[in-house]
Amino acid sequence: MMVGDLPYKELARRLAGAGLRLRTGPVVSRIRSRLPAVVHGVALHYANHTIEDEDGFADFRVGVVVPPSLRRWVKPQVLFEFDGALPFLPLPAPQAFAMLEWGLNWCVSNHCHQYLIVHSAAVEKSGRALLLPGPPGSGKSTLCAGLISRGWRLLSDELALLDLASGSVVPLTRPVSLKNASIDAIRRFAPEALLGPPVHDTVKGSVAHMKPPTESAHRANETARPRWIALPRFERGAAARLERLSKAQAFMQLADNAFNYDVHGRRGFELLADVVTRSDCFAFRYGSLEDAVPVFDAIARQP
Amino acid sequence: MSPQSPQLWFSIPPRAISWREWDGEFVVRDERSGSTHHLGPLAGRVLQVLLQASGGVSVPDIVSRLGDQPAPADEPEWRAAIDAVLSEFQRLGLVGAERQ
Repeated sequence: MMVGDLPYKELARRLAGAGLRLRTGPVVSRIRSRLPAVVHGVALHYANHTIEDEDGFADFRVGVVVPPSLRRWVKPQVLFEFDGALPFLPLPAPQAFAMLEWGLNWCVSNHCHQYLIVHSAAVEKSGRALLLPGPPGSGKSTLCAGLISRGWRLLSDELALLDLASGSVVPLTRPVSLKNASIDAIRRFAPEALLGPPVHDTVKGSVAHMKPPTESAHRANETARPRWIALPRFERGAAARLERLSKAQAFMQLADNAFNYDVHGRRGFELLADVVTRSDCFAFRYGSLEDAVPVFDAIARQP
Repeated sequence: MSPQSPQLWFSIPPRAISWREWDGEFVVRDERSGSTHHLGPLAGRVLQVLLQASGGVSVPDIVSRLGDQPAPADEPEWRAAIDAVLSEFQRLGLVGAERQ
């Protein structure tokens, strides 16, 4: 059953009760919340995601809850619960859905060590994956959103999970987090994209999430072998420019952007080296999606 | 042992190193420290010489084993470049040195 198959009231009831067991790629999270922003966000962004049986296993038990204090009435705040613990400081209530997303990212990046996890967007075309590693602000989410609006399959906006045995990217198909000017950039570039309501004054500025394309959600069990690595850098007004990057530089960028490279020791080194060996590596500067997306469409047409 | 005797350089055991080379550039992981380093062509080749040596190697011997015998006029600059590489390796814990 998909989230979208549930009537809205039933979805709200499950989230408020024992929790909704939501599958995102290889990860199952039991999500609890009574907050309307969370119910709305899950209904919108995860409509095409699978709900697992209520009594089954969950990798993470999380919740977004209102703390029991007077702040419930004056500038209300919300907390992220993880297995009964509160790993983060509270945030303003309007940021409830964003907090769920950030919390789920934290769960994966800190616990899913069966993968080598790179801070990278990942998209796929014709069975080949493009990795877009980079720190916040590099423009990877914007570029990712642009590409998936033009036929690329979303593997992940934020966390590329590399299978330790094969080096393939395991999809973690979740909403794309857009910040600040990227929100309007995507609205212009892809008016059909479904965006949730922006929330303002977060630590990242204004944030809005984009619903994953339906096909990407439905193909969340199809891995893809990395074929290209591009380090994006957004520069206002810059022409799109794709330049070769040495494989050694690409390796160091992947390692620097990996959350758990050190956890995997020699195995992690060999895995990243294999990924780099079979990938074309680039530095990519861009100033607009209109220029940027055709560049990657062109390299995807090459054998 | 004399202070004037040549300094011999040796690498950490080859089993403690993982490395890959692409187009003359290297990445090297020191399994003991967990650190990974990006090496340019000269540094990568010097490390290879040390990893393949069965004992300590002097700088003139490294120059010889690299197979790029410089012109006599360029030799001081060449040795200075290798000295700089070895000093950096020593700082990173990839090599040690002893007097012959």
